[in-house]
Amino acid sequence: MRPHLIALGAIVVLCAAAAFGLHDTVTLDLLFTLLLYAVLGQSWNWISGYAGNISFGHAIFFACGAYASALCVTHGLSPWLAFPAGALVAALLAVVTGFPTLALRGHYFSIATIAVAALVEVFVRTSPWLGGANGFELPIASGWAALQFSQKGPYVLLALALFAIVQLATMWLERSRLGYYLRALRANHAAAASVGIDERRWKLIAFAWSAVMASAAGVLYAQYTLFVDPPSTIALAISIDIALIGVVGGIGTLWGPAAGALVYVVLAKGVALQIGGTGKGYDLVIYGAIICIIAAWRPHGIVGTIVDALRRRRGTATATPA
Amino acid sequence: METLTTFEQLLVGGLLAGLVFALVAVGLTLIYGVMDVVNFAHGEFLMLAMYATLGLALVGIGPLVGLPLVAVALFLFGVVVYRVFVRRLLAGPPEATVFGTFGLLVLLQGLAQSLFTGDFRSVPDPPFQATLRFGGVALSQATLVEGIGALVLTAALFAFVEYTEIGRAMRAVAEDRVAATLMGIDVQRVNLLAFGIGSACVGAAGALLMLSFPVFPTAGASFALTAFVVVALGGFGSIQGALVAALLVGLLEVFGGYYLAPELKMVPVYLAYLAVVLLRPQGLLGRR
Repeated sequence: MRPHLIALGAIVVLCAAAAFGLHDTVTLDLLFTLLLYAVLGQSWNWISGYAGNISFGHAIFFACGAYASALCVTHGLSPWLAFPAGALVAALLAVVTGFPTLALRGHYFSIATIAVAALVEVFVRTSPWLGGANGFELPIASGWAALQFSQKGPYVLLALALFAIVQLATMWLERSRLGYYLRALRANHAAAASVGIDERRWKLIAFAWSAVMASAAGVLYAQYTLFVDPPSTIALAISIDIALIGVVGGIGTLWGPAAGALVYVVLAKGVALQIGGTGKGYDLVIYGAIICIIAAWRPHGIVGTIVDALRRRRGTATATPA
Repeated sequence: METLTTFEQLLVGGLLAGLVFALVAVGLTLIYGVMDVVNFAHGEFLMLAMYATLGLALVGIGPLVGLPLVAVALFLFGVVVYRVFVRRLLAGPPEATVFGTFGLLVLLQGLAQSLFTGDFRSVPDPPFQATLRFGGVALSQATLVEGIGALVLTAALFAFVEYTEIGRAMRAVAEDRVAATLMGIDVQRVNLLAFGIGSACVGAAGALLMLSFPVFPTAGASFALTAFVVVALGGFGSIQGALVAALLVGLLEVFGGYYLAPELKMVPVYLAYLAVVLLRPQGLLGRR
């Protein structure tokens, strides 16, 4: 617990210093994206890592926040309202879709999440009050009340605050009854059920919290880009990106999503800068290769591998007589 | 009279669309049935087969002549992927196969994107471009050829699994892996063959689909999504179930698209998937 808190504190101090001290928009943009993806990865990690239900439709919860933000602003309401409103809708959506599907295992659940997300996307595309296929452009404003800023610094601070809350919540999860139950269910659902753990109840709680986190990230995203439409928020590609971040870093670990987001952002932007232009697919090749290697040779991801290596070193250090 | 013709047109269109879905789904269901793995990269195997068909067409070998070549190439590709990759996934935790094949999906899409760019490409001067008319019903010759191909492929695969020695071994492994091992069946070899043959099926599908569809890096993904639904609907692992389910999905999509709205055409298909996995997880014709 202690080292994790210290690490988080160090990250907060560094990022806050960057947000206040730097004025380089490219770096701040990277930092904001990194923190936002880390939050989305952690949100996915709650249900897919700790609970073991691999979701390929997580973008719908992100979209809840983004659309809540767009609706609030276009209806003359405060965008701050989008945090509770989006969270409520996301949690409800998680409960309604999770209640029947969370008991499905393996690929049955994964494909069901794809189907649910596709249905949500069709619903949004055909609903004029949700902007249909065109989406929303948010009117430009400025200041904390409007949750819009001409500088990128405040956005980084908001994303950092969200990241810190999500990491603290996950530290709590790792030591809470919920966390132990989820890991028990993931390891062996029959054994867990036989000692009286109600699979549906605990997974629904985790799924709802996971949805709330993704929704909050969606609100910040909408306020940052000022544009919300189905391809940028709900599409299968976004869900796959979120899952990518979760898997690359290491599922079911506290720092896995942050590590995954770092790899993701560095590769996506780095490759784009080095080789010139996105859309050439080199970044996909590298992520795909990383995931294949992790799945076949290192099932615990980057963070899991590091933790294992540290444990082994410590293990041998203590086992070796001095 | 008008409505009857429309109905017939939709019926024929739906059944032919369903046969195309069956074409893509049979390989997936064979692999699933034998080794309990949903290959999330199945659509990317299809995409590779389509590019291979395109490549052959560019050197003068048409899709139908190229079909066996592409099927053999995909068989070899499947065997290699199984040997170096899938075998390891099977030894890992249960979610490793979902993640691993998902990684393969991302990798293959990325490779196609970087090698071939995102452009849509079609076979030059494709054969079977005429439109046939039966009474009031119009249908494209290419789709008819694809439908016939789907029937032949499904029948061949069914006969192979039912009547050959290897097919029987595959069914034995699908039913009970441990018992099959005890009976002296080499499970690794059966898995390898099933993965290779499943990939060969999607190779044949890719060659046929190039008659009427363009290829691009994500061309396989949408077919694969429908194939997952078809395989679940028919019962994971059931070949005849996949055929029946594919026809049903084709009809749902075509009638849904016509009577609801074109952008809603997939809604009944996804609802059918959710209803089946929740109410009848073994699928329409699957066994438990």
